[in-house]
Amino acid sequence: MAPREPAIEVAGLSKDFGDVLAVDDLSFRVDHGQVCGLLGPNGAGKTTTLRVLVGLLRPSAGGVRLLGVPMTPSNPVLARVGTMIEHSDFVPFLSGMRNLRIHWQEAGAKWSDANVDEALAVAGLGEAINRKVKTYSQGMRQRLGIARALLGRPEVLVLDEPTNGLDPAEMREIRDLIRRLAARGATVLLSSHLLSEVEQVCSNVVVMDRGKLVAAGTMAELTAATGSAYFGVDDVEKARQVLATHAGVRTVRPQPPGLLVDLDAVPRSDLVAALVDADVGVDTVESTHRLEDAFLGLLAHEES
Amino acid sequence: MAALFRTEMTKQWRRPRTYVALGITVAIPVITTIAIKTNPPSSPSGGGGLGNFAIISQATGLYLPVLALRFMSRFLLVILVALFAGDAVASEANWGNLRSMLTRPVSRSRLLLVKLESAGLMAIIATALIGVTGLIAGTIAFGWHPLNQQTVSGLHLFHIQANAFQSTSQLLGNLGLASGYVLWSIVGVAALAFMVSTMTDSPAAAVFAGVGLYIVSQILNNISSLDPISFIFPTHYMDAWTSLFEGSGPTGDMLRGTLLQIPYVVVFGTYAWWSFRRKDVLS
Repeated sequence: MAPREPAIEVAGLSKDFGDVLAVDDLSFRVDHGQVCGLLGPNGAGKTTTLRVLVGLLRPSAGGVRLLGVPMTPSNPVLARVGTMIEHSDFVPFLSGMRNLRIHWQEAGAKWSDANVDEALAVAGLGEAINRKVKTYSQGMRQRLGIARALLGRPEVLVLDEPTNGLDPAEMREIRDLIRRLAARGATVLLSSHLLSEVEQVCSNVVVMDRGKLVAAGTMAELTAATGSAYFGVDDVEKARQVLATHAGVRTVRPQPPGLLVDLDAVPRSDLVAALVDADVGVDTVESTHRLEDAFLGLLAHEES
Repeated sequence: MAALFRTEMTKQWRRPRTYVALGITVAIPVITTIAIKTNPPSSPSGGGGLGNFAIISQATGLYLPVLALRFMSRFLLVILVALFAGDAVASEANWGNLRSMLTRPVSRSRLLLVKLESAGLMAIIATALIGVTGLIAGTIAFGWHPLNQQTVSGLHLFHIQANAFQSTSQLLGNLGLASGYVLWSIVGVAALAFMVSTMTDSPAAAVFAGVGLYIVSQILNNISSLDPISFIFPTHYMDAWTSLFEGSGPTGDMLRGTLLQIPYVVVFGTYAWWSFRRKDVLS
């Protein structure tokens, strides 16, 4: 059986705006059912990438495939994709409900196919759904934007900063929602400034800086390759000697009753194996790194 | 296509500015009727510079919409039509809704065509409202009469040609023709507003571009040194329709005025279509 096409495939994508190269030879893929976080500092080219992905911008070079279809503006495959790009903006003098309805029906789709009840449950706007959007707060607009992206149960969701403007409880709701969507088989590509958010919901991460790909992989790969770890051992001095000479270890610091080790592109499992080979008993291995360490480490590496 | 047009018209009909614009087209004929009824012009100069039109309006209510059309076509209708055309795409970009629309599988050409259709329909409704409101208000105030020697007797007219007398059906037919001509003579201006609307996030800029073209064209049209080339200015033949009510019927100028709009529509319309299909949507 032929391998299934990735849900999203970005290949050699470049996009310039005159003299400004916003995206530079970017390639990555997101497989079906993955929740992929697109990370990068401001100006990294995340939103430009997402805009090309949904046909709002034309690539200067390279291309994008969505659900196996080469992406072009207004491509019919967009019927299977839910999007929320940048701010959630609507026709201000129409109600939230009317905005959803117009958005869905303008492509000729039947309102009865929109699964609107599910989308409305996510929006959680209650009676306010029938109020004019110009009376909404930013958080309400954002929730309505997510509801709009969910109309018709799309196979792929492209979300740009989905929790912008939401309070902590609402952010948590959205994270739970994304997990539920992924469990249902939907593919999600989301950009976010909130590393903790990405860490909590994403299975995969793509890191961009100045338009270029810095790293791509699973969350575990990305966070395991950099950062630091605490090793609880029965012989601290012997363990220090073993680890200090191991490739990929930057520093080893005693932290009784164990050691704190700064890693540089070495899996923790390699270090455990080295300690065991040297007859050092390992009680615990705790990852002290977080995505933030990995992200900043990758960017610093890119800078140097 | 029908679904997209329906959603577009939903936006038009739920938009406050639509009612303000159409309210103006209703208010002007009513105000004109009240003004002429309460303070009848006694000489051509008393008709606000519109000569016999204002005086003849007292002879038959069927002439009131002609007078209202004359008032409106000089500027207000131009602004309204430029508003409908200039607002069409730029307002969506201004709300940030354009990118949402374009993430649906809706072809940009189709979207543009529907925007053009809805702007055109609103312009037709606005123009028709001038005539209908004028007819109703005029008939109430001055009655439903033909224009003949009997109905104009007693009015202080400088001059009226015998062949300017018309039956009610002739007046209605000419009113319809005049309304269509007036609207068509603004189409070149509207096409520029529409083109700019596809290129900017500012509806005001698009409307101003259309109105600006009208003003510049009118100014250039009044510079006698430019007479040899004035026939290319989009508003040059704008008033040619008045011949329908002055006894000379449709003239060559009306035909030339009709044909004149075509190159403006083709050039501005084609560029709008070409650029919008390639546009990077950032707003």
